Amino acid sequence: MGGSHEEAVIIKRSLVTVVDDDESVRESLPDLLNEFGFATRAFSSAEEFLASDYVGQTKCLILDVAMSGMSGLDLQRELKLRHHEIPIVFITAHRDENLRPRVLEQGAIECLYKPFSDMALLDALNAALRGN
Amino acid sequence: VHESLEHSAEEIKRLQRCINDLVSVLALPAMWAGREPSQVVSTLLDVLMGMLGLDLVYVRLNGSISEEPFEMARHAPFLNLAATPREIGQLLDRLLGQDPNSWPTLLRNRIGDGDISLVPLGMGLQGEIGMIAAGSQRADFPGQTERLVLSVAANQAVIGLQEARLLSEQKHVASELDRRVAERTKELAEAENNFRQIVNSIPGLVCTMNAAGEIQLLNRPLLEYFGKTAEEMKSWMNSGAVHPDDLPRVLAAFSHSVTTGTPYDIEHRCRRADGVYRWFQVRALPVRDADSRITGWYVLLIDIHDRKRAEEALRASECDLSSIINTIPMLAWSANPEGFCDFLNQRWLDFTGLSTEQARGWGWVATIHPDDAKGMLDSWQMGLVSGRIADVEVRMRRFDGVYRWFLLRASPLRDKSGKIIKWYGTNTDIDDRKRAEEELRRSEAFLAEGQRLSLSGSFLWRLDTDEITLSEQLYRTFEFDPHTPVTLERIGSRVHPEDIPLLTDKIEAARNGDSDLEYEIRLRMPNGSVKYLRTIAHGTRDRDGRPEIMGAVQDVTERRLSEEVLGNVRSELAHMTRVTSLGALTASIAHEINQPLSGIVTNASTCLRMLSADPPNVEGARETARRTIRDGNRASEVITRLRALFSKKDTAVEQVDLSEAAREVIALSLNDLKKNQVIVHAELAVDLPHVLGDRIQLQQVILNLLRNASDAMIGIDNRPRRLLIRTEREEGDSVRLTVRDTGVGIDPKNLDALFNAFYTTKNTGMGIGLSISRSIIESHHGHLWGAPNNGPGATFSFSIPRMSEGVTDTYNLGAIQAPAVTNGRKS
Repeated sequence: MGGSHEEAVIIKRSLVTVVDDDESVRESLPDLLNEFGFATRAFSSAEEFLASDYVGQTKCLILDVAMSGMSGLDLQRELKLRHHEIPIVFITAHRDENLRPRVLEQGAIECLYKPFSDMALLDALNAALRGN
Repeated sequence: VHESLEHSAEEIKRLQRCINDLVSVLALPAMWAGREPSQVVSTLLDVLMGMLGLDLVYVRLNGSISEEPFEMARHAPFLNLAATPREIGQLLDRLLGQDPNSWPTLLRNRIGDGDISLVPLGMGLQGEIGMIAAGSQRADFPGQTERLVLSVAANQAVIGLQEARLLSEQKHVASELDRRVAERTKELAEAENNFRQIVNSIPGLVCTMNAAGEIQLLNRPLLEYFGKTAEEMKSWMNSGAVHPDDLPRVLAAFSHSVTTGTPYDIEHRCRRADGVYRWFQVRALPVRDADSRITGWYVLLIDIHDRKRAEEALRASECDLSSIINTIPMLAWSANPEGFCDFLNQRWLDFTGLSTEQARGWGWVATIHPDDAKGMLDSWQMGLVSGRIADVEVRMRRFDGVYRWFLLRASPLRDKSGKIIKWYGTNTDIDDRKRAEEELRRSEAFLAEGQRLSLSGSFLWRLDTDEITLSEQLYRTFEFDPHTPVTLERIGSRVHPEDIPLLTDKIEAARNGDSDLEYEIRLRMPNGSVKYLRTIAHGTRDRDGRPEIMGAVQDVTERRLSEEVLGNVRSELAHMTRVTSLGALTASIAHEINQPLSGIVTNASTCLRMLSADPPNVEGARETARRTIRDGNRASEVITRLRALFSKKDTAVEQVDLSEAAREVIALSLNDLKKNQVIVHAELAVDLPHVLGDRIQLQQVILNLLRNASDAMIGIDNRPRRLLIRTEREEGDSVRLTVRDTGVGIDPKNLDALFNAFYTTKNTGMGIGLSISRSIIESHHGHLWGAPNNGPGATFSFSIPRMSEGVTDTYNLGAIQAPAVTNGRKS
């Protein structure tokens, strides 16, 4: 298929990777990110992401907090252990007010509560990529 | 002169001879003394033949001298008479005729070979003794002197014959006497023999003793009784014939009698041949001679054993009667028709401490309590007049001054005409009864008060007559007029129409012998209020064996109402728990909603951006809009499900498929479970029989169990967090739901406490989940339990009876869940 073309786009554009076990997120978010002009990849679990080749290429990780199996926070720790300093934007459907300060303290760029606006996402992404 | 002298001399000689003859004749009776008449006659005939020179002489005696007529004759040989005296007598009768008065003084006739001059003379004044006839062939016979001699001889013969007859009679009498004596002697001998036989055959024991008291004769029964010989019996004092206990007394009496001659009469025991002692009355009477000297004793021993026994029995019974009168546990007395007391039994006297003399007449009144005496005497006086004394209860003073309650009762004894001749009375101590009555009255009062306070009443229902007795409190409960009889119909009129079938059913059951009834019905009172009555009754039988139902009825309206309030509270609490437990889920629920919302927002943003691009990406926008709609629907779905769980709907009894209910709960909880990294295995049976109940309540229980299982596995990192939820059909027509985890497990010691409200092992829980869950399951006639697993973790299950086919048991569930049914609630 058009693999080389895509590859070119990715090189050209920063790769933003989505890890969420919710299918609707995996469906909708990449489209929006595309509209923003990012290259995107979506994974339904942390394990799947870690096993892929995209860990190193990912410039920003949009990560769901609550997932069966390895959670978003687990993945953050795991990446830190592997010395992958990928900026992470946490997204969560749990309106847990304690969560945000905790993840920020652990080095996350942002923590967005679902549903979030496209502008909030874009600001977070910009912040993430600026740090790069 | 010479001639004359010669004649005179001859005459003198003749006279001389005559005088000699007369002397001889006169001497005849002396000669005849002691002779028989025949000897007299014979002598007379010989003397006359010789003296008078007779040729024939004949004597006949009539029966007056001898027993038989007697004839004798002498005649001279020359007559050649061959005739017997009898034939001579017959010849003379022919010649002389029968009448002695017509006899000729002299008769000459030929008799035999000679002519005989015959002189007949009668003997005795009228010839009644007999006749004598003297004859001679001499022509001058009889001369004057011969006639004289003849008649004197005849007279002398009469004298002699009469003497002879007397003698003969005397002899006869003497021989008769001898004969009689002989006969008598013989009779006596026979009599004695008879006597012996009689003596031997009389049933009594008889003996005789001599004056010194030595036994002489004994009859056979006596010997047979003692089984001893006559010889042995003579030493009766030492031979053991008399009972040793009686012997001293017997000997004393015996020697006293023998010494003083007084009759002996004593009762003692005599030893029979077989060794048995029997009672005898022994009587001895002295026999005295003409001089009153005792010649011997007659002794009679009479067996009085049976009489003695009867007497003893009688004495014993008399003694009994007397002891009965004195020992009956009441005071007994009698009085004459005027009421004058003439007898008081020992108990009466013992009780009052009075003597008979003190109490007799009207003395007893002093023992009656002053407060009771007047009324009692009035009643008593009236009774004496009317012949009917009413029972009275009075206090009587005991000897120690203590008054006790007595029941006084008197009955008249009447003669045949109905006149009262005596009053008999008893005083029965009823003090204890009186006290008990008082106690009873008090406890009845307590009972009534207790019933009033506890709103409990009792009833008695006679099954055969449908007679119903209610306690006072039940009248109040039913609000019945206490003066109107209670019937089943009347009770039915108070019962709530919806409960009539239940009551009818219970009445039927009672009539069919169901002896234990327990049910609750409602009353609808005239003012429209409702009362809840709880009835516990059981069947029994009265003393006559008639069936009856005895029961207690408690007005539990208050409790019901408070239960209702409690139910409301519980319902609130359940709701709260639901909210709490779901509140804990809120995050996951929010998550559930936020997910689609997030998708919607993202898709909508994308869509806008696609449409704002130049050129617009219509195809992309359409795709994102489609996803938006899908996610919107998904959110709506979530909200619908949540609304069902959150909104506090009234209890709705419906058919519930537990598998389906569980599936919904799992769907709702999945995210939460996922968050806790719980691996859920669901084994939900297909075609599970439905249960009847409140779906939401049951789902709440399932949710609670899932959350508990999930919470129990938080912190478990060394093994998979597995949760198994299973539904299955159970044996015995129940449906079971099981939730099994691999969590921290439960300590068997805490199993029971687990179901207590506010017991919790969690930091966040309120500890009411299991308690409410259990009450919900129990309200569905099921049960909920928990147990530690063999391996790690615990298993909680509940089972609920499946719906019985065709029957919807709405009533019972309604009754149990009544609070929820009746309590409309503003939400």
